[in-house]
Formats: sequence, C-alpha cells, structure tokens
Amino acid sequence: MGALTRAVRNVSRRKIRTFLVIIALSFSMAIMISIPAGIMANQEAAQSIIENYNNTITSMQEEINKTSTLIEISASSRRGMVGMPVPVFGREETFINATVIDEISTIEGVKDIVPFLEVSSEETTEETMSTPRGSFTISRPVYTITGVCLKSTFIDEYSILPTNVMDGRNLTEGDCGVIIISLNLSDYYSVYVGDKLKVCSETFNVVGVYNSTARTVYMNITDVQRITDNMGNVSRLDVYVEDISYVDGIAEVIEAAYPELYVTTYQDRLANLERTQAMYEATLENAESTISQTQAVAFQEILIAIVATSLIVLFMMLYTVRERTKEIGVLKAIGFSNWNVMSQFILEGILLSVMAGGVGTLIGIVGAPVISSLLLPSVNPFSTQQSGFPRQNINFGTALSQSVTVTPDPQTLLLAFGVFLLLGALGSLYPAWRAARTSPMEALRYE
Amino acid sequence: MSNIVLETENLEKVYAIGRRKINALSDVNLRVNKGDFVAIMGPSGSGKTTLLNLLGCLDRPTNGKVILDDVDVTRVQEKALWKFRKYKIGFIFQTFNLLPYLSAIENVELPMEGTEKSKSEKRKRTHELLEIVGLSARKEHKPPRLSAGEQQRVAIARALANSPAILLADEPTGNLDVKTSFEIVRLLSKLSIIQRTTIVMVTHDSNVASRAGRILFLSDGRLLNREKKGMHLLKGDLTCPHCHKPTQPDHTFCPRCGKKLD
Repeated sequence: MGALTRAVRNVSRRKIRTFLVIIALSFSMAIMISIPAGIMANQEAAQSIIENYNNTITSMQEEINKTSTLIEISASSRRGMVGMPVPVFGREETFINATVIDEISTIEGVKDIVPFLEVSSEETTEETMSTPRGSFTISRPVYTITGVCLKSTFIDEYSILPTNVMDGRNLTEGDCGVIIISLNLSDYYSVYVGDKLKVCSETFNVVGVYNSTARTVYMNITDVQRITDNMGNVSRLDVYVEDISYVDGIAEVIEAAYPELYVTTYQDRLANLERTQAMYEATLENAESTISQTQAVAFQEILIAIVATSLIVLFMMLYTVRERTKEIGVLKAIGFSNWNVMSQFILEGILLSVMAGGVGTLIGIVGAPVISSLLLPSVNPFSTQQSGFPRQNINFGTALSQSVTVTPDPQTLLLAFGVFLLLGALGSLYPAWRAARTSPMEALRYE
Repeated sequence: MSNIVLETENLEKVYAIGRRKINALSDVNLRVNKGDFVAIMGPSGSGKTTLLNLLGCLDRPTNGKVILDDVDVTRVQEKALWKFRKYKIGFIFQTFNLLPYLSAIENVELPMEGTEKSKSEKRKRTHELLEIVGLSARKEHKPPRLSAGEQQRVAIARALANSPAILLADEPTGNLDVKTSFEIVRLLSKLSIIQRTTIVMVTHDSNVASRAGRILFLSDGRLLNREKKGMHLLKGDLTCPHCHKPTQPDHTFCPRCGKKLD
C-alpha cells in the first residue's frame, strides 16, 4: 500500500467532486493546448502568405523584365499588368475592332501584334465575400474563355499559352474545335482529357488540362469569335516592338490615335508593381499587427487558464485537507513524517492534474480549431472567409484561399502537459504544507 | 539495559487561555517497566488524555522530562519526533481512527510504510498481527463493514505493527458495549502477559482498569499517591478455550488438547 495507491483511492472515492474538478481543469488544459496551436497555425499561415507574396512579386518582376518590349493595349482598364489573372465580376465587356491590328502594324518599329479575346462564361456562380463591413453575395462567371492566335511563332516566342500542362497536350498551330482547361475547371465540371465540354453553344474536345487555381478555357481565337458572336473583335492586343527604345514613342502614337484604348508599357507595369508591392507590404504589416494583438490576447488567456488551474487545485486541495484533518492527525500519530503527509497531498494534486491533463489533451486535440477560433477571433486573418487581409486583385496562391488548420503539435502537447502537472503540484503545495504543519494532537481533536 | 520503558520527571503542562493559565498536569512522576500494563484512571478533565499525548510525543510538556527507551523525547526536535511515534509508540484511540478507504490489512500495514521491511515481510507481519487480534478472516474488509469491536482490534494490530516499546491506549473501550469492552481489554491483557507488551491505558471505567496490572489515579493534573494492583487476569484468560485446562502465557497450542490457543 503505497502513497500512490492511497492517492488513487482518495481521488476516486469522491467521484462527483473529482469529476467536476477534472472537467474544470481539463478545459483549462484544452485552452493551454488550443491557443498556442492557434497562434502557431496563424504564424505558419502568415509565413506561407509572405513566401507566396515574395514568389509572386519575383515572378511578376521577371515577367515584366522579359516583356520590356511589350505594349499592351486593351479595350478596358481592368487588365492592369502582365502575369496577373483577369478578375471578371460580370462587368460589361468591351472589345477592339481587329482592323486596329492592321493600322498599328504599319507603325515603324512594331515587330508583332498578338491578339487575344477574353470573354466571361454565360454560366455564373454565387460567392459569399466577408469584409470588415459585413458579408455580401456576388455573382461571378464560372470561367473565362481566352482565345489566342495559334501561330507557331507566337506560341514559341511569346508564351501565349499556359506552360504547365499536366495531362494531355497544349494547343498547337491550326487547332480548331479543341480546348485546354485549367485543373480547377476540370475538377469543377469533372471533365477530363478526351471528354467534351459545352462552351456557349458549341461542344469542344478537351485535349489538355493545365495546373491552375483559376477557372479558364483556352481555345483558338477564331473559335471564341464565332461562338461569342464577336467576329472581327478582340479584347486585347500585345504589341511587341523591335527595341525597348521604341516603346515610349510607339505607345504615344497609339494613345494619340486611339484615345479610347488603354495602353500599358513596361514603365507603367513597373510603377504598378511598385504600387502593388507598397500596398501589400502595408497589408502584411497590418496582418502582423493583428497577429501581435492576437498573441497578446492569447497570452492573457493562457495566463488566466494557468491561474484558474492553480486556484482550482489550491481550493480543491485546501478543502480536502480540511475535510481530512483527523486523518492527518492519525497519520502523524502512527509515525508519518511531515514530508510523508505533504507528499501524500501533493501526489493527490498531481494525480488530479494527470487525469484532467489526459482529458484536457483529448479535448484540446479534438476541439483546438473550435476553441482557438472562439478565444482568438482573428485566428485566421488570411482566410478568404475571414476579414483582415484584402485580396485586391492579386492572387497570392493557395495560402490565401485555404483556411488555417489548427492542429496541436506533439511538443505543444508535451509542454502543456508538463506545465499542467507543475501547476497541479504548485497548486497543492500550500494545502500540503498546511497539512504537514498540522499539530497531530489538534488534528485528532478535529470533528 | 534498564527495564524501564517510560519515565516522566516532574512533568508539567500549562495551557494559556488568554491571560489565564490552566495547569493541566503538575509534577507527574511516572515509571513504566517493560511488560507493565498500567491503567490511568481519573474523572473527566483530570488530565488523562493530556498525559497520554505527552507520553505519545503528540504534545510538548511545559516543564519536565519524558524518557522513552532511555531517550529524553522532550529534547528531540519537533521534526524528528515522528521517528519515536513510528518505532517506539503504538496508539490506540477511543474512536479507532482507521482510514475508511483502506481494508483491515492495509490499515495494519500503514505504519510500516517507509520502514526497512520488505513488502513480503510487511505482509507477513500484518497477517501475524491480524491472527493475534483474531481478525484473519476479515482482513480484506474495510472499516465500515467491521463491527466496533473488530475495528478496535484492527486498531490494536495497527498499533503493534512496528513492535513499539509501548502501547498507549486512550479510552480504548469508550465506544464499545460491555461485552466487546471485555473482549478488547482481555486482548490487551493477553498482549501484556504473552508478548510482554508494555501498555499504558487511560480509562474512566473501573472495570476496565481493574484488568491492568497497576492502576494509577489522576486528579486535577496530579498523580495521586496511591497505586492499586489490578486483577490483571481474570479466570479463564489462561485456560484453553477448547478443553478449559490451564495453559502458560508462552503457549501457542494447548499442551493438553493440542488445539491452537486464541
């Protein structure tokens, strides 16, 4: 019959009290697990966002550098920069008449003109957007149809088609009646290579699937013009000039000749990139500040959990010591030393902590996402479902569209369990000390 | 080595209640030899329990000495007194004071916790003690399932666990009926004779006290200068319960019928 067995018997003989104390303590433990897990998940998400941001900015920079001789001409202002996806929010689409191509090609220094026709799908989907001012629902086209001029020189020289085809093949010169689709769209419609997809009124063979989170269909520009009843229209022209020194001059000529069109050069794109960089850096700073505030709240909550745990153990053990005063007197009368008595009560406090710690760990593992979202309101400031990180019109990759997964890691669990046991021991220290200091004679008289 | 197990010299205990001082014990000189069965009698408030608490190292005297097994325990530091309570003294209480969540066997084993005895030695000793007090059959029962007399027997076995130099019994029959009181005091009496256990028993019951070898009287905190010899043994204590023939204190089995003696 050791002290541990006696501790187990004592803890288990008052079942309802023990149960209630364990429940209360286990919630403290669950909080101690969930909050650090939430904070860590937040930090990981922030790190992922920053990496994505850096990668995107770098690739945009490279793209801008590669296209220094490119002048973009579009019928509307919504397309800002090379390399950025086109956000389509159901705005009325405007086009450029293809005759403009012949006119621009006569300007000295123009090397090639690559036409594009981008049209939104007729089918739309409803999406809920959350903002600091509340949620609202918008109607978005399911996908974008991009028509490209499938000349082999354009395909080879100007990367007008997606380069990351995962399945099937890419479009080639002379392709007609065939399409390649993005992976997201393939998943959306469950349409794969070899299947057919109805676009507007016509059915097209899917010859390739490329990796992208956007929903886009690529096809020959003449097909798009036909099925969207846009014969002779394009939505964008990429004008390549012989040398970078011609860019400003040619851009000025085009702007003067076609004031209704939007002309964008390398300089514009660079300035735009710098503005975007500044905007996102400010946003990231805001996000970091949000995380700091969340961490401060988390720290306070953990502190409250720690104090609550210690107080619960302290009061429970003080009550136990008071209740068992006579037993303490008996133990001392039959030869238990102060340390024997003290260790008995500390052991009982630790035992309660172990039991509550076990239950709390289970609650923490299962309930960490819920607990952390309840206690840390901004646990996921980067999620599309949360406020705090405006998406603007740049997609920083998957991290923005994924929600943060809050899973306590083994180190957090071990650390929280260790801290919890320590709190159990500390909480029972004073009651145990009081028990040990009790005079056996007075304790034996206690009724 | 001296035959004296316990000795007090000019023992005095004064309680202060505010400015008022109450002399609970005054000038108590007592000597108990090995194997003595001493009963201390006196009316309520005469200082019997105070004396027992001082003898049992549960309290400190205001003046005087308590010499237990040749050691003046009044000079021993408070934090070291547990050793004397563990190895030199066995306590028997009026209210038994068994731990209700432990079985009889576990209660008896309790004082042996932390001693050098191995687990099997402890278990063997416990069985031996429960056999002596006649509770082998009920060793797994917890106190609430034992009668008052059985609980006191377990308490006696617990007090004997570490083979103490002296057994201190505070009104051991105070909570028992007449028949059970008789059984308990007979058990103490037998322990004193057969095992030469030194016993100091406080009681206000003259019938119980009469079973001791010596009876001392305490009045207003002073030991009266009269000492009475008790009957110590009643007829039948040392006769075989089976064949009713006389036996000797050191006999475990009856020399006549060969049956085991209680």
